[in-house]
Amino acid sequence: LRRCLISVDRSLIEKSFPEIKRALQTNDTFPNVTILSTLENLKSIQPVDVCCVTSRLLTFYRDRVFKDHQETSPEVMRQISSIANSFLYMQKTLEQCQVHNQCHCSQEATNATRTIHDNYDQLEASSAALKSLGELDIFLAWIDENHQETSTA
Amino acid sequence: MKNVLHWNPPEGLRGVEVTYTVQYFIYGQKQWLGASECRSISRTYCDLSAETSDYEHQYYAKVKAMQETKCSEWAETRRFYPFLETQVGPPEVALTPGEKSISIDLTAPKKWQRNPKDDTVSMQQIYSNLKYNVFVYNTKSRRMWSKCITNSTLELRWLEPSTLYCVHVESFVPGLPRLTLPSQKQCISTLEDEMSALK
Repeated sequence: LRRCLISVDRSLIEKSFPEIKRALQTNDTFPNVTILSTLENLKSIQPVDVCCVTSRLLTFYRDRVFKDHQETSPEVMRQISSIANSFLYMQKTLEQCQVHNQCHCSQEATNATRTIHDNYDQLEASSAALKSLGELDIFLAWIDENHQETSTA
Repeated sequence: MKNVLHWNPPEGLRGVEVTYTVQYFIYGQKQWLGASECRSISRTYCDLSAETSDYEHQYYAKVKAMQETKCSEWAETRRFYPFLETQVGPPEVALTPGEKSISIDLTAPKKWQRNPKDDTVSMQQIYSNLKYNVFVYNTKSRRMWSKCITNSTLELRWLEPSTLYCVHVESFVPGLPRLTLPSQKQCISTLEDEMSALK
């Protein structure tokens, strides 16, 4: 079964997010709560579930995070928009995999993404959205590592 | 993954005895924790490598100054993510000359160890996408070129015989921009051309 792999827009990781990371994380006033938990938790995702978890997290960002986030800085807004567009592109690629039945969702994958939604619901929507954006480095690092030809996850 | 917190002394207190205390926080946990080696210290740095050795977590640190009975506010760092922000050191480089070639063997850098007796962890195990930039300089023609490789060996071919070449290598991880640390420059001469050796 050929693995479903997407490529991450390098400028997303190397430019868009680094430029707004400090602003997002500085405004996050709840350091004792995490949404994506840690890379450690995402690392427990099995290769067979990578496509499903990626797709569900992209949907989580599209339908909840980008919608709930209230931003005052035009520069940060511009970078978030370019990240959102890149996410849409990645999602379109994943939809092809779903068509070819390569995007299996196990119970573990479903539990992992439910935990993320539960974490999100602990906070007021705009705070949760801001925190999720500040944790994009965790998500992007996980996608980057798990969507490589050689990655074993 | 050697993570050291540095700070500047408070202004206007030069020559006055000031001590510092450091705490750190694991993002997502509940409370600040004391850095055991950095309580009431007079130096202006604190090695938090042991406290931040789980590189998949993210951390904050803070420091306050004390002078006699007076205490400063805490000065806090931004969120620090060792997995994405640590500086990856250079590989070990071994060169073997041929007549018109040099073979380069690289050994991935090692993760910082708390105790030298601990098992070494290669950075390759942490970063499966670790790559190397190999820089080569021909001392005769003064020409420099570089090549990006993923595996740990590289054969430089079509070189000039009896010529001194210098090589240095940088490790890098695709992703967030990081500082790189080049290896020591190593120079080696290609062997004499067999034909000219027979004359």
